[in-house]
Amino acid sequence: MGNGFFTDTTLCIGCKACEVACKQWNQLPSDGYEFTANSYDNTMALGATTWRHVAFVEQPVDEHDPTVNRWLMMSDVCKHCTNAGCLEACPTGAIMRNEFDDVFIQPDICNGCGYCVPSCPFGVVDLIPHQHGIATTFATDGRTNDDAVQSHGGIAGKCTLCYDRQKVGFDPACAKACPTESIQFGDVDELKDRARKRVEQLQARGVAGARLYGVDETTSVGDLNAFFLLTDTPDKYNLPERPVLPSTRQRPGYTSAALAAGALALAGFAIFANGKTE
Amino acid sequence: MTALRDISPDASGRGVGDGAPLVPAAVVGYYDQPLLKRPHWEASVKIYLFLGGIMGCSGLLAMIVGDGDPERARVARNARYTSIVLATVCPPVLISHLGRPERFLNMMRVFKTKSVMNMGVWGLLAFSGVAGAGAVGQLARDGFLPRWMRILGPTWAVNVPLGLLGAFISGYTGVLLSATAIPVWGVGKRHIPAFSLCSGVAGASSLASALLVLQGGSERMQHKLVALERVAATAEFALLQHFRAYAGDFGTPMFAGKQGKRLSTWTMAIGILGATAIEALPVRSKWKSLLSAAMTLTGGYVLRDVLIEAGKDSADDPKAAFRQPE
Amino acid sequence: MPGLGTTFGRGGATTFVQDLENADCILIEGSNFAECHPVAFRFVMKAKERGATIIHVDPRFTRTSAVADIYAPIRSGSDIVFLGALISHVLESGKYFREYVDAFTNADYLVREDFKDTEDLDGIFSGWEAGENLNDSSILNAGTTNSGDASAIDGNKHSAYNRETWAFELEEVPRYDGNGTVKVPKRDPSQQNPRCVINVLKRHFARYTPEMVEDVCGTPREKFFQIAEALTKNSGRERTTAFAYAVGWTQHSVGVQYIRTAAILQTLLGNMGRPGGGIMALRGHANIQGATDIPTLFDLLPGYMPMPAVARKEQTLAEYLGTNTKPTGWWANTPKYFISLLKAWYGEHATAENDFCYDYLPQLTGNHSMMSTTIAMKDDEVEGYFVIGQNPSASGMNGELTSDAFEHLKWMVNIDAYETETASFWKREGTDPTTVATECFYLPSAVVLEKEGTMVNTNRMLQWHDKAIEPPGDTVTDAWIFYTLGKMFKAHYADSTDPKDRPIQHMTWDYEHPDAHERAKGEPSIHRIMKEINGYSVADGTQLKTFTELKDDGSTACGAWIYTGVAPDDTKLMSRNRKADDWVSLEWGFSWPANRRILYNRASADAAGKPWSERKKYIWWDEAQAKWTGVDVPDFPVGKAPNTPAKPGASGMDAHGGASPFMLNLDGQAQLFTAGLLKDGPMPTHYEAVASPVKNALYGQQNNPVAMEWRRSDNAYNGTDNPDYPYVLTSYRVTEMSGIMTRYIPWLAELQPAAFAELDPELAVEKHIRNGDWVTISTALGEIEARALVSGRLQPLRLGKGRRIHQIGIPYNYGTMGHATGDSPSNLIPFVMDPNVSIHEAKSGTCNIRLGRRPTRTRTVVDEAVPQHKPEGQPSLHGAQRDTPGA
Ligand SMILES: Nc1nc2c(c(=O)[nH]1)N[C@H]1C(S)=C(S)[C@@H](COP(=O)(O)OP(=O)(O)OC[C@H]3O[C@@H](n4cnc5c(=O)[nH]c(N)nc54)[C@H](O)[C@@H]3O)O[C@H]1N2
Ligand SMILES: Nc1nc2c(c(=O)[nH]1)N[C@H]1C(S)=C(S)[C@@H](COP(=O)(O)OP(=O)(O)OC[C@H]3O[C@@H](n4cnc5c(=O)[nH]c(N)nc54)[C@H](O)[C@@H]3O)O[C@H]1N2
Ligand code: SF4
Ligand code: SF4
Ligand code: SF4
Ligand code: SF4
Ligand code: SF4
Ligand SMILES: [Mo]
Repeated sequence: MGNGFFTDTTLCIGCKACEVACKQWNQLPSDGYEFTANSYDNTMALGATTWRHVAFVEQPVDEHDPTVNRWLMMSDVCKHCTNAGCLEACPTGAIMRNEFDDVFIQPDICNGCGYCVPSCPFGVVDLIPHQHGIATTFATDGRTNDDAVQSHGGIAGKCTLCYDRQKVGFDPACAKACPTESIQFGDVDELKDRARKRVEQLQARGVAGARLYGVDETTSVGDLNAFFLLTDTPDKYNLPERPVLPSTRQRPGYTSAALAAGALALAGFAIFANGKTE
Repeated sequence: MTALRDISPDASGRGVGDGAPLVPAAVVGYYDQPLLKRPHWEASVKIYLFLGGIMGCSGLLAMIVGDGDPERARVARNARYTSIVLATVCPPVLISHLGRPERFLNMMRVFKTKSVMNMGVWGLLAFSGVAGAGAVGQLARDGFLPRWMRILGPTWAVNVPLGLLGAFISGYTGVLLSATAIPVWGVGKRHIPAFSLCSGVAGASSLASALLVLQGGSERMQHKLVALERVAATAEFALLQHFRAYAGDFGTPMFAGKQGKRLSTWTMAIGILGATAIEALPVRSKWKSLLSAAMTLTGGYVLRDVLIEAGKDSADDPKAAFRQPE
Repeated sequence: MPGLGTTFGRGGATTFVQDLENADCILIEGSNFAECHPVAFRFVMKAKERGATIIHVDPRFTRTSAVADIYAPIRSGSDIVFLGALISHVLESGKYFREYVDAFTNADYLVREDFKDTEDLDGIFSGWEAGENLNDSSILNAGTTNSGDASAIDGNKHSAYNRETWAFELEEVPRYDGNGTVKVPKRDPSQQNPRCVINVLKRHFARYTPEMVEDVCGTPREKFFQIAEALTKNSGRERTTAFAYAVGWTQHSVGVQYIRTAAILQTLLGNMGRPGGGIMALRGHANIQGATDIPTLFDLLPGYMPMPAVARKEQTLAEYLGTNTKPTGWWANTPKYFISLLKAWYGEHATAENDFCYDYLPQLTGNHSMMSTTIAMKDDEVEGYFVIGQNPSASGMNGELTSDAFEHLKWMVNIDAYETETASFWKREGTDPTTVATECFYLPSAVVLEKEGTMVNTNRMLQWHDKAIEPPGDTVTDAWIFYTLGKMFKAHYADSTDPKDRPIQHMTWDYEHPDAHERAKGEPSIHRIMKEINGYSVADGTQLKTFTELKDDGSTACGAWIYTGVAPDDTKLMSRNRKADDWVSLEWGFSWPANRRILYNRASADAAGKPWSERKKYIWWDEAQAKWTGVDVPDFPVGKAPNTPAKPGASGMDAHGGASPFMLNLDGQAQLFTAGLLKDGPMPTHYEAVASPVKNALYGQQNNPVAMEWRRSDNAYNGTDNPDYPYVLTSYRVTEMSGIMTRYIPWLAELQPAAFAELDPELAVEKHIRNGDWVTISTALGEIEARALVSGRLQPLRLGKGRRIHQIGIPYNYGTMGHATGDSPSNLIPFVMDPNVSIHEAKSGTCNIRLGRRPTRTRTVVDEAVPQHKPEGQPSLHGAQRDTPGA
């Protein structure tokens, strides 16, 4: 059920074709030209106008032989969570789960309240600055920059899992562009089986720390429709070790609000109770 | 042209002369990058959180006090007027923070219990309705509208729903913050809604007492209002203290540093302890009451401000985001 | 790539990238495969998934190293030592593929008695002739090696070799037809004779030991053995290893010999012409292969035929064919290809009576390569310059000299899709435009998506592309520009009676577009051009199906014989084919020659024509059908049985036996020892780069003794072991950036927004440089600034005598134009030319680095360049003395 991504970081060569293909297809603006000196990463994070981001982690693995390095590369993306914090939080229903079981923001409905932004446990979604435009027409034929781009600043932006492409039977632009099949697109259940086998294979080959992220999860967020094969702990890739679904905090929240209100009301009645004046 | 173009680095502010050590300290996670995104909420949201709290609790106050006798009726009347005034102020304030204000009504295309913000909007709508009715009735009773219009908002029909909805309105904002991924808010899922509500009640009652004083109304009622205010403020103080201990590292952005100072100075020292102390002074002056009310209200606003700002700082701390509070 | 050409016969990559998937081991050295060829790298990853061992040898730990199984660091400019040691290792340990070597190479030929090796002469070969070596643009370097041409002797002012002794001892044998005798190389099948090539090779490489590798390359010994183990374990009957390289090997003053070393090693390992084997020369620009096939090179004609040269005394067609037609092997066909070319160019005017207009062709009077021409420009010997799709001010060497040379032009035409640093040389930093007299024309050109045409990729594969969108505004295609110029010239000289104008009057130029709309725009018909290139019969214009149909009697015309068959008839264009299977995909595109995908694939079968192993089956002799069959087009006469004996004295292919896979070579064998084909030696020898931090540890001779240098104040050299420039400097690419095009594209510019320099943490601390700081890198030529990227991926190397070497790497992709800007390293690298292909030395030099930005550039170059004479006594045996840096 549902389409998603299996991003196998052991196959990534850090070419950033996915990042560029995404920006090109969705006509997202560049985020500026700042040299960070953080390895080869100059875009640093997913954001309102960066829907694929390739992370670079340099690690010396053997302090005796400094020539032995490890250079992890990982193409990050919206996780399209089974329990999506952003979707639950959205007061307008702009964020929906589409027929491909992907979490999609309807750009014509979002009113930019910004509540999805702090509600994503993975820090993915963000508000698009007003001056920017993004592609929102789902026409694939005769599509040009101009008809694709409408000014949609002020609304939330994140990976659409190429809803527009999927609708016409295309693979997502990022997966299509990936030369090494590090990004694999398809039926999530099939991808999961493939991923589990891949992990066994890698562990058999002695690839240290090969593990899946977002498969068979026990967290309240549950499994991710865009999941990953990592070779180090999640924090190294700027992923939460234990993401928590924000809505799980509603019940206790409402409860203690009610208790507080009740208690104060009682106190109030007590205070105002005694003696009528004649 | 100078012989050597300024040796200092470019706009990115990195490099020569920035005093950074040659060998940088070990980084946390991914180049110390924040994992979470900062909430974009600014003054308008802070103001809404503050006014919404007072608005709701004024409704609650109206219910508590009731219209049993003229003295009470005056207090309840003030409270109802306060509610309707704020209920007309709040929506524009709320709308002004939207990226696409013209789409405010999209909030009403769904009724979504999972979305605290959506619930809040419906709650606000309902509250405004009741408050409106209450106001019409009151205006009629006060002779500003034809007498028959009293039946549109009889106090016996208005007070209770106004109180319940008011409680919700001043309570949901705390839940709205807690039900996000922001660590300091998340860890406060039990505390924040509670002390927000307390602060709301304290604010509403101090406002009511101030109004009463200005009207030269019953001293006895004013004392009762102050009493309620003190109860709420004390509870708020206790809850904040407990939260500080409970939140541990997650609480740092709120209780340490800049925000910590503002919280302890304006909300704790001035807004709660200060106000209480002044009330306790053995002098009888309306200025005393007005001053203490002002202090309580200020403390209340700063609390909301600190909450939001702490949330932003908390979002910037990857360590807190790697293992998020349950 | 004469390194391959002189060994195997053809210069192109010997295999196709898709076949890398079948390799059991892939040695990537001299290329940053993953970053510079990411799409092709897919097949390396597939091989890895199938269990192949991926090896990357590079000065830096790159994105390629990151996914490799073995990474070995190496000092820039020392690969011949590394590869030489591997050669020595397989020879000494006997781990080379003996049957293959015996069958398909010249291992058992005897080298001439009077040949003297570098062993005997401390780093130079016999035949050295010192020149005054004050280089000017009149160096003659007209030999073309791709066609196996050996006849060019440099009659020039600079030092050179007389290559007469670099040859085999000949013996008289009876002609195949019994009448008389003929001289052929003497052989000793027992390989006992010390003068046998294989033994000469052993001795030559004897001093290339693992210890040397450690001392000279800085590569840890255990890494060397790890790699040697992987290569030998994965070569032989059952397994194959592929090599992949690119410009990390070519851009050196000994560049061609780097590739020669690899070619020898791959031959010894028996991996040539076999699936999962071969040498993948990764070509650069999208169509750079096409630009060598139908060359933009000064000394070649289409199809790797040499340009007529004064020094080779090629005044007449007979003389030209005399020197360039080989008695034996495929190049015996030269007359058919050459005369067909003249027919294509001069049509009915080209007749046997007038030597097919041979004298219309210009004759080379010297080395007219880019650097020589630029120097000539600077010295006011050149009036005008066309710069087409190139940006020498940013990507050429010695950018300041180059830009300054442009100021000495009367006019310059720039045809480019963007305004480049070259097009704007007159307003570059430190230059007052009012002082520049050069008249500049800028013609905006369409880019690939805005025009239809053919590109030739690294697989030697022609692929057609349609036009996707109309070029914007005034933009026109390159084809339009040259077609129009041609028509204008023809009109201009139409009624001239001056014989010197006949080449233009007689030039065939009928490329009219059939489509009225395009014709109105003045676009030529690319299909008509393609037809001319493919070749056709003059009589009825029918297109030819293969180059064997070409004739030397003027009855056929052909613009580039190696492409014949791409357009077999009016309706078909093979380069349009898009039918892929999961391997050889013969119906996808068209690979020259004759759509063969793996070259020399006859070698995939043993001498008797049987596959070396079931696992590595590719092309074999089918007894039943009496022909070669398999999954590819046989790169061999299809009906020639394996046991066919060589016919001494016969001409052309008849002289070759049925077990000689390398058809274009004189004897059909792979050349472990090349008889005088290259200008700097029959066997590779390690020389240090012209700018090197160390003395040559192997020989007294420091540098390539025939490398071309310009010793003048505007081309200063760092020299050897210069304390002012203690660090190794190398330059390269990053995935995110190409040339100026990428710098103008925001989506790419944001990914690598500024020029940077990579250095190791130890050096950074020593120099008080923090990650991200501005740094200034300097050479004797000048200074550039960049942002520091301090990374453990670069490591100091420990060389011999405990010498610690730091390497600094700089991407070459930057310049002053676009969104992502920065200094280009070209301002640090002086002109130096490899003697064989006139390539620069961008990959290995020396430099210094300091914290902070450079001073604003003011004119550094004095307009009158002062010659810097070399010390006497060429060649000096003492590098330091020879290399006094320029002013
Ligand atoms: N993204 C991108 N891709 C490109 C290009 C581009 O500009 N951008 N350019 C295209 C062109 S024109 C070309 S020619 C190819 C070039 O393709 P490559 O040759 O693969 O690319 P380079 O980065 O020039 O050099 C490759 C490697 O050589 C290493 N190196 C430097 N000196 C030495 C040495 O002495 N020995 C060894 N073993 N290695 C050395 C460098 O560290 C570098 O990692 O790339 C093509 N592809
Ligand atoms: N230091 C150092 N220097 C190097 C190298 C190195 O490794 N280190 N590498 C060398 C190598 S391998 C190479 S190939 C060169 C590359 O050097 P250049 O070829 O000069 O570099 P590019 O920027 O790729 O130049 C290509 C130009 O062609 C233009 N162009 C693109 N398409 C078209 C078209 O259809 N028509 C026309 N007319 N123009 C078009 C582009 O806008 C661009 O300006 O650099 C060399 N320089
Ligand atoms: S990752 Fe964040 S933005 Fe994406 S679906 Fe999950 S919660 Fe929503
Ligand atoms: S910003 Fe848009 S998408 Fe996000 S919660 Fe608000 S309405 Fe929904
Ligand atoms: S699926 Fe589409 S939108 Fe999402 S990252 Fe890939 S290209 Fe971008
Ligand atoms: S395209 Fe594929 S290989 Fe390239 S960076 Fe993205 S995921 Fe990695
Ligand atoms: S740029 Fe073109 S040629 Fe180079 S790797 Fe990408 S697709 Fe291949
Ligand atoms: Mo190149």
